Amino acid sequence: MKLFVVFCGLLLAVVANVYAEETPVSLDWLETVVFAGHQTDYSGVFVYQYDNRVETSNIIHVTEANGEYEKLESLDGPKREIIQHDGHVWNYINHKMVLVDSQQGHSGFPFLLPEQLSALSANYQAKLLGVERVAGYNAQVILFQPKDNLRYTHKIWVHTDSGLLLKAVVLGDKNQVAEQYAFTQLQIGGKIDRSWVREFNSVGLPGKSLPKPPEAAKDITPINSGWVADTLPSGFKKTMEVKRPMHGKHAPVTQIVFSDGLSAISIFIEPNDEDEDDVDGLSSRGAVNLYHKVVDKNLITVVGEVPPHTVMQVLDSVRYNGK
Amino acid sequence: MKQQISVLMDGELFEDEAASLFDHIKRSSDVHMDWEVYHLIGDVLRQPEHIHRGLSAKVRERMQDEPTVLAPRGRAVKQRIRTFALSAAASLSAVGVVAWMSLQISPEVAPKMAMQQSAIRPVSMQIQNESNDYLMAHQEFSPSTYMNGSASYIRTVSYSRDEAPVKNSPDEK
Repeated sequence: MKLFVVFCGLLLAVVANVYAEETPVSLDWLETVVFAGHQTDYSGVFVYQYDNRVETSNIIHVTEANGEYEKLESLDGPKREIIQHDGHVWNYINHKMVLVDSQQGHSGFPFLLPEQLSALSANYQAKLLGVERVAGYNAQVILFQPKDNLRYTHKIWVHTDSGLLLKAVVLGDKNQVAEQYAFTQLQIGGKIDRSWVREFNSVGLPGKSLPKPPEAAKDITPINSGWVADTLPSGFKKTMEVKRPMHGKHAPVTQIVFSDGLSAISIFIEPNDEDEDDVDGLSSRGAVNLYHKVVDKNLITVVGEVPPHTVMQVLDSVRYNGK
Repeated sequence: MKQQISVLMDGELFEDEAASLFDHIKRSSDVHMDWEVYHLIGDVLRQPEHIHRGLSAKVRERMQDEPTVLAPRGRAVKQRIRTFALSAAASLSAVGVVAWMSLQISPEVAPKMAMQQSAIRPVSMQIQNESNDYLMAHQEFSPSTYMNGSASYIRTVSYSRDEAPVKNSPDEK
């Protein structure tokens, strides 16, 4: 009898172990996704559905001797084009390439930090959901279910061979789709158009200014602003606090970024311009919610891939804790 | 009779039989009631969340409340043109709806805008283009950028068309 009890205990332990191993498996997948997204040459068409709109875009990603090049081009509506290279993002506006962004912290090889992975597993329950077909490829479906209602559910489809992300869905309240990306056509490897890379790198092309990072992009400096948010959802850790110039703003803007491993919340603080009186309010685009409010003569803006009540909760707790 | 109604609802009744049964349903209120109850049962089985009971009676009631418009017939021609334009617009939008539906690439529940009742404050405003710079600055440090690469930047360049803001639910204020 005693032996039987011991046996049962052993069996339980084994079963528990099997279940415990479910999560780490999925997190490995995530690292594969990040790795594959940067190392694979591909070109394809994807749709982005948000609110009740659909946009179709073309994307090409190639790796050259001097790094990765990625081009995103909208196929409907006014022409919009984004080129990403070496941690910099250029936007094609009014027939001119304009540097809009420069990823200071991670211009090298991007990877998931161990802290990020542990934050992710603390805040989300990852589940493997089987294999489905997307854009003609077999994809492993992975669900990231949040442990509270302060963040969205994420569901991703990962190509079983290359590890490329084929589809990503953000699910809100009651599992309705907040936004989704999905490839409808995709070519992995093989002969992929690279002519635009030469064009992009050549200097003095008609209509395109020299794509060099302007001085402004280097002005993102880490600071300790003294601003704090008291009621962040659990698991959101500060990943960045910088002072940065922003397009259309006279004075530099303070940006504090918090992340739970899968989504992020940014708090922007800037002196309130007199002409922006009625900026208070909530707006959204797909899974991104934005909330503006004036606090102590400062315009505070909270942006994040989190539900509306979360950005509001965060903004309402923002205060100055400095000298 | 009840069995015949059930057979009819399953679509297994021959045309002539169905015609006579419809006739019967129209004439006898008892049979009509059975017909409604059977449909109600079917509705409950299919989607227990939203049940419409006595819908036709309610519609009839509301129709009676509608004011009767007594208008001169002088503008009949103009009216016809407008009707044509409207029906053209309707069929165009129907094409749009079909196109949109064919783009519904997800097996998830598509955004049932009209149905959902959110406990939280509904977001009725689209992010304005002036705020794109915030989105761009945020995107730079968001984990979604690690995963989706440039694809996540599509959010920041999405354009707001000049149209009424999309509302989450029709009864919000």
